[in-house]
Amino acid sequence: MKGLLKGLGVTFKAMTAKKITTSYPDVPFVMPDRFRGIQHFEPDKCIVCNQCARICPTECITLTGKANPDPEKKGKVIDTYDINFEICILCDLCTEVCPTEAIVMTNNFELASYSRDDLFKDREWLDSNNHNVRKDNNNIGAPAAAKGGAK
Amino acid sequence: MIRTEELLLNVGPQHPSTHGVFRIIVKLDGEVITEAIPVMGYLHRGTEKLAEDLNFTQIIPYTDRMDYVSAMTNNYVLCHAVETMMGLEIPERAEFMRLIVMELQRVASHLVWWGTYLLDIGAMSPFLYAFRDREIIIDLFNELCGARLTYNYMRVGGVKWDAPEGWLDKVRDFIPYMEKKLDEYNNLVGGNEIFLARIKGIGKYDAQTAIDYGLSGANLRCTGVDWDLRKAEPYSLYNRFEFDVPLGKTGDCYDRYLIRLEELRQSLRILKQALEQMPSSGEVMGKVPRVIRPPAGEVYVRIESPRGEIGCHIVSKGKAEPYRLKFRRPSFVNLQILPKLLVGETMTNLITILGGIDIVVGEVDA
Amino acid sequence: MGAWLDESLTWGNALIFFLWGVILLTIVLGFVTYAIYFERKVIGWMQLRIGPNRVGPLGLLQTVADIFKLLIKEDTIPRKADRVLFILAPALAYVPAFAVLAVIPYTQDLYFADINVGLLYYVALSGISTIAIVIGGWASNNKYALLGGMRSAAQMISYEVPLVISVVGVVMMTGSLNLRLIGEHQGNWFWEWNFLPQIIGFVVFIIAAVSELNRTPFDLPEAESELVAGYHVEYSGFRFAFFMLTEYVYVYAIAALTTVLFLGGWHPPAPFLDFVPGIVWFLLKFSCIVFFLFWLRATMPRIRVDQLMGFGWKVLLPLAILNVFITALYLELFIKG
Repeated sequence: MKGLLKGLGVTFKAMTAKKITTSYPDVPFVMPDRFRGIQHFEPDKCIVCNQCARICPTECITLTGKANPDPEKKGKVIDTYDINFEICILCDLCTEVCPTEAIVMTNNFELASYSRDDLFKDREWLDSNNHNVRKDNNNIGAPAAAKGGAK
Repeated sequence: MIRTEELLLNVGPQHPSTHGVFRIIVKLDGEVITEAIPVMGYLHRGTEKLAEDLNFTQIIPYTDRMDYVSAMTNNYVLCHAVETMMGLEIPERAEFMRLIVMELQRVASHLVWWGTYLLDIGAMSPFLYAFRDREIIIDLFNELCGARLTYNYMRVGGVKWDAPEGWLDKVRDFIPYMEKKLDEYNNLVGGNEIFLARIKGIGKYDAQTAIDYGLSGANLRCTGVDWDLRKAEPYSLYNRFEFDVPLGKTGDCYDRYLIRLEELRQSLRILKQALEQMPSSGEVMGKVPRVIRPPAGEVYVRIESPRGEIGCHIVSKGKAEPYRLKFRRPSFVNLQILPKLLVGETMTNLITILGGIDIVVGEVDA
Repeated sequence: MGAWLDESLTWGNALIFFLWGVILLTIVLGFVTYAIYFERKVIGWMQLRIGPNRVGPLGLLQTVADIFKLLIKEDTIPRKADRVLFILAPALAYVPAFAVLAVIPYTQDLYFADINVGLLYYVALSGISTIAIVIGGWASNNKYALLGGMRSAAQMISYEVPLVISVVGVVMMTGSLNLRLIGEHQGNWFWEWNFLPQIIGFVVFIIAAVSELNRTPFDLPEAESELVAGYHVEYSGFRFAFFMLTEYVYVYAIAALTTVLFLGGWHPPAPFLDFVPGIVWFLLKFSCIVFFLFWLRATMPRIRVDQLMGFGWKVLLPLAILNVFITALYLELFIKG
């Protein structure tokens, strides 16, 4: 009987306790800086090294490069860059290996949609997803060699 | 004579109390179970097979998804296995970070268990109380590694991130808070006669049975067998800390309940010591070759996850991908005793016993 | 009200009675709507949540929206179900729930039926709902529903007995089964109410009443974590709403009955508080009991079926009978003697 009453006391006290729910859709949920949300991609920085596509555990990144339109310069520039968010697990490995920080994480996470097609994000969309970009991309943990870029 | 029939009842895969998509077919005589056949595999994703095509860095996010309630320990067991194989040295601060997140994870995991167990037994509020406090840990993890459930935090050779500014202080503040909340939990249900009547003496087995079935974690310790890998085979830095391994006597659901609650306190105790001993600065990533290629051979390591003994067996042929990767998943092994325990119990006790074993279906089916 | 009841029945009187019935039904439906809202709010607060707050100001229209949703839902009847019984069960559950409200007096003058066996009428009719639940569980042709229905039958039978016997003490003290007289018999000081002299009866009654209501910690027939939803697992749409409605109308009925039997009905707790109308006191006590039920639901785990039976027959029933004997002895020795 004592145990029951004690329990009733706890719940009764909780009635006036601070409520912990947030009004999420009305009040945006602010994520900490390191949050791994939807990626932001800057085509200008990309050197088409393919590292992101190779490290991706679910193979959700597909990219193609083309020869640099400026004949003076060597190397390739990015042509298409797509991430399939149906299978992307936001594991952060692509941004970890990127030598030029062309692909970085943002704090945006709202991907819900009525159609699967909407989850297939292309280069333009990823480029325009440029707010709340993660500031701290200092990949302490990444293998030192990975920071050097494609060789 | 009245003609009576056995009732074949299909519990799950969609059922509120099977903790995911676990299914169990029970034969009922009235409300008494005469036979129970667990059916697994509804959440099977072939993690072990998938891993054979992935390099070790890529496997880490997959381990997150096995025991999704306790992803950090899964991360650790894989990294630990690879590191053992390659003989890598881990910087001290990195090892401390790993230990702190693992113990926080144990607290979070046991809180989920506590809440859902009470929910299974019919009390609604404890679930929300537990999630309130788990939320603090989840927020800490979110701040540390940017994800709330699938952390992908550890790497072979260290951890991905060092603690951000003020993070360790938040952990330090969390410990006394959580200790206070544990007392509140105890007030809420610890003495509740209905709850105690529901779990005392239910799902009993003795030490020999537990060992025969290969049980581990609280499911083994409730019978009084002193077997906690943190003490028995200290890995990481556990030999530097003082903590007790709570043991049960009777091997029933009540003992498992008490053990898990006591483990929460012990985890907080370890955390307190770890925060004191932690070096104030240092590398969090050791010297690791660019491509992780363990030498040809085999290794098996095991650690104490919140659910029991999680093991990782790697067979390597000297490539970047494992030749064969096998996880000893404690939920899967612990679940094997279920059909034995259920015979002769009532339908209500099915839920009590299943909840007491503490399975995560993602880990059972992997 | 009392004056009309004594007149001979004419068409005019019948119309008035009918209108009163409609008014009471509306009041009860309003109560159910806001009891559900209040329950969700209270449990929300106790669980560190806010509770419904989206539909209408402060979420006041949440239940209305829920009922509307149930109304426009597809009415499904499983193909292998016993169609007639399946349709009959919700109505059969609801009708007695509403019918028992007739005998409850709210104040000295406000009552709808003045039956001299009012209490017996209440207990007898409320038993019918059990049959409806068993029928519903059986007709669904679902194993979970069947288990829920069977549990319900066992539970209701074993708790009806202590429930009835626990109020015998009150009946003996009053010397009447008429609920209005039982209410009247209690005094204007709170220690003259029945719950103190009949403390054993009161405790047994409350426990048995919660069990009769199928509410936590005795919600086994619909034990969510074991039987998914118990007897109404196959019901959807408005048939399901009828079961819900039955449950909450019984909350109303039991709360009102407890108020009348044990908490002094419309009497104020002290004579100098007499200036407040009786109906206010009634509603206050009534609300406290309803709140207590919600409070229990937010705290308690569920009891097990065999423990429930054991508790009912081995603890509550002997206690209730003991109470009857104590009351009889007391009356014989001190009141009559």
